[in-house]
Amino acid sequence: MRIKLNSIMVDNQDKALKFYTEVFGFVKKYEIPVGEFRWLTVVSPDGPDDLELSLEPNANPAGKTFQEAIFKQGIPATAFEVDDMDAECKRLRGLGVVFTQEPTRMGPVTIAVCADTCGNLIQLYSKHS
Amino acid sequence: MITKNAFGRLCRARDMLRETHDDRLSVEAVARAAGVSRFHFIRLFGAMFGETPHQFRIRARLDRAKHLLAISDDSVTDVCMEVGCASLGSFSDLFARRVGVPPSVYRQRVRSIMTAPRSLPAELTPGCLTLMGAAFAISEKQSSALLSDSVAAREDS
Repeated sequence: MRIKLNSIMVDNQDKALKFYTEVFGFVKKYEIPVGEFRWLTVVSPDGPDDLELSLEPNANPAGKTFQEAIFKQGIPATAFEVDDMDAECKRLRGLGVVFTQEPTRMGPVTIAVCADTCGNLIQLYSKHS
Repeated sequence: MITKNAFGRLCRARDMLRETHDDRLSVEAVARAAGVSRFHFIRLFGAMFGETPHQFRIRARLDRAKHLLAISDDSVTDVCMEVGCASLGSFSDLFARRVGVPPSVYRQRVRSIMTAPRSLPAELTPGCLTLMGAAFAISEKQSSALLSDSVAAREDS
């Protein structure tokens, strides 16, 4: 048994694909139409290239309710690891990304939180060597 | 960086845009309720939610209209009023442009795939990873269809 797939709910798959590729810099892996939705996944060019993130429509009312509730509470939906937190935050800010938490050192990691424009907050973290 | 207070106000502004079914509520008024200028509100809303307040309101209305058309017995006119559109004509035009079919046709289509009254069909409310199985089943069917097409083409020649 392996962990090779993670998923995040998004309020619009077109918007999500644009943001996750053009702003976060991921690469599209699958885009298969299923009715009015798509099976849509991205991978990170920094690897591992077989670990996919699925951008799932939040069309299920139960999912939407959960997504909005944790968003309002300021809780990130998922977290991505970055090598250089300062450089990454600067790059994202330049692309118009809003942060709800500035890079903050917490023991062995530094974390920051930003909005993905698709209804989620995303935690970024870097590990200190 | 957005402060915790400003973040909370922005979330409430989004609720207000979705929940106030009154055409007279202006983006200006929502911005005022959020405690920022209209210009700043539109900019911040876009950076946070990926669309303008106006676009968000339209999408929220159409989502609600789709839901009501699917599960309620309200007439199209009632649905139009219910979601805060004053003109049936412009509501129907907008709906057809965004959804692809007029409201009445949308209702018929959803009803035809409904398995139980007043419950949305599973096709419209994919539960997380259920899309994956469907997607790969569809793509396998397509690629085997392509394969048999090319085999048939070769046999023909």
